Amino acid sequence: MLDAIASVADVFVGIFQAGADFFVALTVGILPLVIVLLTAVNALIKFIGMERVNRVAELAGREGFQYAPLRFLVLPVLAVFFLTNPACYTMGTFLPERNKPAFYDAAVSFVHPPLGLLPHVNPGELFVWAGIAVGIEQLGLNVNRLAVAYLFTGLVVIFFRGLVTQFIYDRLAARADTPTVDAAATA
Amino acid sequence: MGFITRIGRSVGGVVGVIYQAGRETIDIVLKTILPFIAFIAVIIGVITYDWNGPDVDGGTIGDALANVLAPLAGSPLGLVALTIIVALPFLSPVLGPGAVIAQVIGTVLGTSFASGDIDPQYALPALWAINPQVGCDFIPVGLALGEAEPETVELGVPAVLFSRVITGPAATIFALFVGLSVY
Repeated sequence: MLDAIASVADVFVGIFQAGADFFVALTVGILPLVIVLLTAVNALIKFIGMERVNRVAELAGREGFQYAPLRFLVLPVLAVFFLTNPACYTMGTFLPERNKPAFYDAAVSFVHPPLGLLPHVNPGELFVWAGIAVGIEQLGLNVNRLAVAYLFTGLVVIFFRGLVTQFIYDRLAARADTPTVDAAATA
Repeated sequence: MGFITRIGRSVGGVVGVIYQAGRETIDIVLKTILPFIAFIAVIIGVITYDWNGPDVDGGTIGDALANVLAPLAGSPLGLVALTIIVALPFLSPVLGPGAVIAQVIGTVLGTSFASGDIDPQYALPALWAINPQVGCDFIPVGLALGEAEPETVELGVPAVLFSRVITGPAATIFALFVGLSVY
């Protein structure tokens, strides 16, 4: 009887010991670097200040396709880096109405790709990146290669995503057959 | 004296800013990162506990999960299929909040990468495959933060959701090619 209870206790404690081992692996393996990086980047952002970013945002709001890389690549990256999730979406204020959904799409798609190098952009959702990264680290591979590749593919994907969303939005707006807010504002 | 005072002031200012940044960082770590690590540790504890003892292989729930996930996350077609499922316009807004689903699936996949059940070259596409729904739950709020008109939100929500059906799988396929040169 006692043996049976003891073996149940073994399983019970064993489950949580396995969890505790994982907890230690994460807090020792990931947290120290994240804390130092977060502190350094948070301080850097305070030193640089937001005024410079606002100037880029005003430029990105201009008419014309040649400003598309500013709208869907440079501005989202700057907004996510300086304002972080979720304040970065306020940068849409500087853009014309018809660009806001595509800008949001580009910005929100960039809140995870930099996590390997710049965890400050979205520390609450660190494990979108860290979950897989921990596994790669345990294999003994250089996890920074994956971090850089994630960031790089992120740049390509958000620009492409911004363009596609803008295309779809324009089709939907044309089909809605109601004057867009921009047209109403200029009329 | 004025010179020394000025140096003292600016050094004090720099130290103050960094110290403040440190306070904010510890705040974030205590309030969001550590609670999530505790949450994920409980789940991983259940998943990685070896029910059959160390002498028998394959006794963990993780092994059973890996049997399901490895074919999905361990092949190009499976990854694209996973992306399409998660990007479906009626699923993506439900799967979004807090990125909890992406974080849990990511961590479970991480254990499969660590055990060698999935090839490391699929790590990059997997990062994209678990996350085509990013922000799909948040579109109206995000647009409101950008001071968008209600008419823009009305068209913007379907525009983003439909866009993900195209750009989600496209991102995974792109990452599959890039991933070949990562590991």
